[in-house]
Amino acid sequence: MGAPFDIGYVFSFLPKLLDTLGVTLLIVAGSLLTGIVAGFLVALPRMYKIPVLRTLSGVYLSFFRGTPILIQLFLFYYGLPEILKPVGLDLTRAPVMFFVILTYGLHTGAYAAEMIRASVEAVDRGQVEAAYAAGMTPYQAFSRIVLPQALGIAVPVFSNLVIALLKDTSLAFTLGVMEMTGKAQTLGTLTQHFIETYIALAFIYLIISFTLEKMLLAAERRLTRHENREEKRESIFRLKKRGSYRTVLADIHAGKGGGA
Amino acid sequence: MQLDPSFIWTAFWQLLGAIPTTLSITAVSVLAGFVIGAVTAMLRMYRAPVLAQIASAYVTFIRGTPMLTHLLIIYFGLPMIIDGLAEHFGWSFRSVSIPMIGFAYISFSITAGAYMSEVVRAGILAVDRGQVEAAQSVGMTTFQSLRRIVFPQALAAALPNLANSVIGMLHGSTLAFAVSVVDINAKAQIVASTNWKFFEAYLAAALIFWGLTVLIERVAALIEKRVGAYNRGGVA
Repeated sequence: MGAPFDIGYVFSFLPKLLDTLGVTLLIVAGSLLTGIVAGFLVALPRMYKIPVLRTLSGVYLSFFRGTPILIQLFLFYYGLPEILKPVGLDLTRAPVMFFVILTYGLHTGAYAAEMIRASVEAVDRGQVEAAYAAGMTPYQAFSRIVLPQALGIAVPVFSNLVIALLKDTSLAFTLGVMEMTGKAQTLGTLTQHFIETYIALAFIYLIISFTLEKMLLAAERRLTRHENREEKRESIFRLKKRGSYRTVLADIHAGKGGGA
Repeated sequence: MQLDPSFIWTAFWQLLGAIPTTLSITAVSVLAGFVIGAVTAMLRMYRAPVLAQIASAYVTFIRGTPMLTHLLIIYFGLPMIIDGLAEHFGWSFRSVSIPMIGFAYISFSITAGAYMSEVVRAGILAVDRGQVEAAQSVGMTTFQSLRRIVFPQALAAALPNLANSVIGMLHGSTLAFAVSVVDINAKAQIVASTNWKFFEAYLAAALIFWGLTVLIERVAALIEKRVGAYNRGGVA
């Protein structure tokens, strides 16, 4: 299958794949924005317990977390034009990128909603009461007390969300978007050096997710510096102190237990 | 192209035949992944020299790259390695005799292993150190205290994450189409393109996956109740 292994190809493929890095990052950024907006819209009815809307949010969450992203991509790509046709919206000529960003955005929205809700709920209720007691208005209490703390709590989850999204974008090629994975497949077919292309591809993904993780870790440190965190000790069988144990939990609580 | 609601039902029946493939990929990857994950987590937590570093590198690599690349690397790389070894040692076994689904099993197990190691690690870290000390003070050996005290509690703590992993692998199994395994997703593709009814076919596939996911969540909640029974507060 294919030509014999030649490490030289890995290096020559790297710059070619990096050419399409922009498309991948565009999908990530676009869906992240869509996802955060969608996440807020979905999380608010659940946090404020608004009837009906809250049930709708629940169905939204259950659907987007209950079906694979690959199926969602096809569903939106083929289904949305048909659903919107009777309303008078013609999407048949819309660019594929629109469907890709929309689907990834809505998918991310479900996880973002849970992240938002969990981080706001994790802020101690007494903090808000103390803010009120000190004479703050509800808006002040939210922006000065709740938000900064919730942000710090959300960052580790957010970090996982972004990295999961980055990895998920490798599926966009199924709709014909020429992002990194699509490019890798083309290169592989052209040169018959499949294994080398995929190694180069994996390497690029690894570097990007590593960089993102480190950047967000720095952001987390900055945002949680008020919690005077003890130095990281990782002794076995020990319930770690809030700060770091939370990170361990967040690591998997991103909801995505698997790769895709 | 007009929406044909009755075709959703037709597609649904045709897709049911592919459920066993999807479930077998999920089951194999979760079970094998759990074993790999438990070993990896132990190596890292007990800081086994060299092995712990290898385990960390493995987890970092897998968690930093898409599952699809793991599958493709295994699919194209494994035959090369096997055939190379076979030629060198004169085995009669050739990579051609590995069924396509075998690649999915192997690659997804490796993927699941990295995620599972984090699940196992978080579960064990959630057990209070005092529990182990208490076990040792009543005379249990390390192995006894692990088996009787740590694991049952770690399992209860890890269950929600475990359920998430199972769901993640269920959804990940849709990638098997890349190595021409006909799971629910690939079947939907076939049904869709032969009948030219894409939306209906994928809607049916989405419903099946949604149902399976909800089922896994429910079962996990039931088990959680049972396993966490020791943890209830109050009397009786």
